[in-house]
Amino acid sequence: MRFLSLFNHDSSRIQLRKSSGGIKPLSNKASSLRSRIMSTPIPKILVLPLLQHKGTPAKPIAKSGDRVLKGQKIAEAADASSAPVHAPTSGRITGIGLHALPDEFGTLAACITLASDGNDQAIKTTFTADFQNMSESDLLERIRDAGIVGMGGAGFPTYLKLQSSNEHPVDFLIINAVECEPYITADEALIREHACDVVTGANILKRVTGAKQCIVAIEDSKIDAIAELKLAALNSAIQIAIIPEKYTAGSEKQLIHSVTGREVPAGKYPASIGVSLHNTGTAFAIYKAICEAEPCISRITTVTGSTLKTPKNFHVLIGTPIAFLFDLCGVDQTKLSRIVVGGSLMGTCLPDINAPIIKTTNCLIAGSAEEFTEPQPEQACIRCSFCADVCPVNLLPQQLYASSRCQDYQQADNFGLFDCIECGACAYVCPSHIPLVQYYRASKSEIEKQRTNRHNADKWQARFQFHQYRYKREKKQKLLQSSSIEHQPETEHNKQADFSREKARLEISEAVARVKARRSKLITTSSVATEREDKP
Amino acid sequence: MNKVIYCSPQLNGQQSIGKIMLWVMTACIPGVAASTWFFGWGTVLNILVTMIFAVALEALILWLRNKSLRIHLADNSALLTAVIIGIAIPPGSPWWLLFSGICFAIVVAKHAYGGIGQNPFNPAMCGYVLLLLTFPLNMTTWHLPVDTLFDELQFSTLSWTSFMFSLQLCFPALTSDDVQLTEYLDGFAMATPLIEYELAKSSAVLVALKNNTSLFASTSNTGWEIVNFGFLLGGLFLLTKKIISWQIPLSIIMTITVLSLLFYAPGSTAVYGETYLHLFGSATMIGAFFIATDPVSAATTPMGRIIYGIIIGVAIYSIRVWGSYPDSIAIAVLLGNFFAPLIDHFCRPRIYGHSTRSGL
Repeated sequence: MRFLSLFNHDSSRIQLRKSSGGIKPLSNKASSLRSRIMSTPIPKILVLPLLQHKGTPAKPIAKSGDRVLKGQKIAEAADASSAPVHAPTSGRITGIGLHALPDEFGTLAACITLASDGNDQAIKTTFTADFQNMSESDLLERIRDAGIVGMGGAGFPTYLKLQSSNEHPVDFLIINAVECEPYITADEALIREHACDVVTGANILKRVTGAKQCIVAIEDSKIDAIAELKLAALNSAIQIAIIPEKYTAGSEKQLIHSVTGREVPAGKYPASIGVSLHNTGTAFAIYKAICEAEPCISRITTVTGSTLKTPKNFHVLIGTPIAFLFDLCGVDQTKLSRIVVGGSLMGTCLPDINAPIIKTTNCLIAGSAEEFTEPQPEQACIRCSFCADVCPVNLLPQQLYASSRCQDYQQADNFGLFDCIECGACAYVCPSHIPLVQYYRASKSEIEKQRTNRHNADKWQARFQFHQYRYKREKKQKLLQSSSIEHQPETEHNKQADFSREKARLEISEAVARVKARRSKLITTSSVATEREDKP
Repeated sequence: MNKVIYCSPQLNGQQSIGKIMLWVMTACIPGVAASTWFFGWGTVLNILVTMIFAVALEALILWLRNKSLRIHLADNSALLTAVIIGIAIPPGSPWWLLFSGICFAIVVAKHAYGGIGQNPFNPAMCGYVLLLLTFPLNMTTWHLPVDTLFDELQFSTLSWTSFMFSLQLCFPALTSDDVQLTEYLDGFAMATPLIEYELAKSSAVLVALKNNTSLFASTSNTGWEIVNFGFLLGGLFLLTKKIISWQIPLSIIMTITVLSLLFYAPGSTAVYGETYLHLFGSATMIGAFFIATDPVSAATTPMGRIIYGIIIGVAIYSIRVWGSYPDSIAIAVLLGNFFAPLIDHFCRPRIYGHSTRSGL
């Protein structure tokens, strides 16, 4: 028996699989971890985009001029793939209008602007803190109502993820605390200080998904966080997987493979192979939503970079302007050269510093010219295949590049362009300084454009064919009607002649339609429009 | 504020073609140093002369092609081609031979195909093979070591006199009035033991073998052995720097080892040479680590590299043993280059999340 229990113990330990590819850039994490997480003061103006997630934007339910309380829902989910938005603090809604989002284009999108009153008065809620006594559907409903989305950066509505995992039995629930990208320390800081809450969040998720195994995956370099996590997970069924430090080890698909040995099939979600993966920040948000009845109105964001006097992690209200955070840290404007939102490898340059923190903003970097060097001139690919060696998805980036460059999109698609996760490891190691990710993005959007065009062409062709068919049918009916009315004996001769002419015309139009349908793959809207004008 | 929006990744690894080429050249140092130590200044002089020609030709062609000299000369690729050709061409060859080789390599084999990254064949080996075809005599005239045959010459291979001899061999015009020196000019390097073995099958070398004397020791004071170990060392250095991948060198060396073990028959009249001779008594090491691994013309997929290496290994051994050329790295590598695109097409790795390999 003792032997058996030993055996059980051993088999419960997680056996990690080696994931392919990956790079080991300088982590640059130490500076933002020197201090504890700091809660930001309440800014005067908060900007709350209606679309902070993947899916459809939320529908505003509060009007301009309304007084709202902290935690009050101000925009509701428009459909299943949407997430509601709550007021992060009490105040008055000053307007609903266009505002720049924290993305690389500075996209203008509909946002609710909230002027805080400084009282931070919370809305009264009735809730039971004990999640053990709540049913799964209640928990799920609460998670949806709290507007929780993937906090790691993807922003996929958590409710949707959990719901899709209902269709497949969940074997593994993975909490992703790997955070392999340089500079970002939000998850590490969160676990260092709130490990128990994260574990509670994980337990709630385990309850909701009905997962057999719950694993928290964390990188081996985060020593303090691992210790806290081990302490918090004591006496619980939660296992800890310690992942070797490597960039892209924390990417969803790669992590699933290294922890479970399963691969997410191309074009499918992890739920299809019985895996449900959530970010640490998401688990924390779920804990807050269930146990503290606080919807998703704040998050942990790393603000770092060598131009900041005091880089640190902030517990920040959603909607806080990015400039507000930088002011709190003290930016050395003389050295500042690039502001990056997200990590240093997958993140984007920020065009508008007044854009707000949204639910997915995990990191802000105010970097100097030494950290983010100007791109060097692009040189020819020498097929060194350093890129292929570091690709976590086993692509051949050099071949994708070659086919992208000569605009052979079909070839690029065949070579797995759409399996590319745009981690940027290939561009990082490229000795020819080729902006590979940029090429892939351009090709992807071009292929998507072609697909849309083809889809539209097919649609128009179908419409045209139906139009032809209807035209024919109407003609036939008219013909039948006219031949059935035989009350004009004096034109009988003429009618006979008309009938044959009519018939001939019909046959001609049929033949033309056949030829056209066969010949034209692409029928432009204009040609269809003219056809429609011809219609009697 | 951000004036320019850069596409991700925002960081880059600070690697460059120029650095890679420089590392490869650095890795050549042990082998070249050993060669200089044992056989004199011939190889170094070869390398220096080809380097000067290479840079001049590269600059000229870049200028003709309207390319930026500052960016493209900094990639050091012409210099590396010059180093490889300098090592490959017999020491003591005249300058016009070196010039013809490097000229064909840079102008035709590289730039006529579109410059760096576009050449389907290894430029250095193209230049070498051209010389082998057009000047077979010069390319197979290997001078015997000084101290074995010319006992009366009392100077070391590293001395000033030795350097002057090499210089005069390279630029024959310099020696027009000095008759005495030319008598001994044939004494500054030798072919690899394998070539000697091949050229003089029934001569002193075999006698030496029969007498159980080490081939290396008896004819060249273990020179070539050490030179090969030097290149092996350089190759291992490149492997640890992750500049070359392990697949190509390993598969070439393994293939040659296996074939020479299979065909070696000590007692028989058909002499194929033992494994050690094939690996360390020839140009195998520089071929496997420095020439076949040229990224532009080699196979790039992990599986493809192994097949590419096997093809080259089989070709090297076959040409040496059954062909008419004494050593065969150049021809074998060019043969491998022919297959590289085909190999890459069929050896694509399986992409994550796909059950089969892509694009086939």
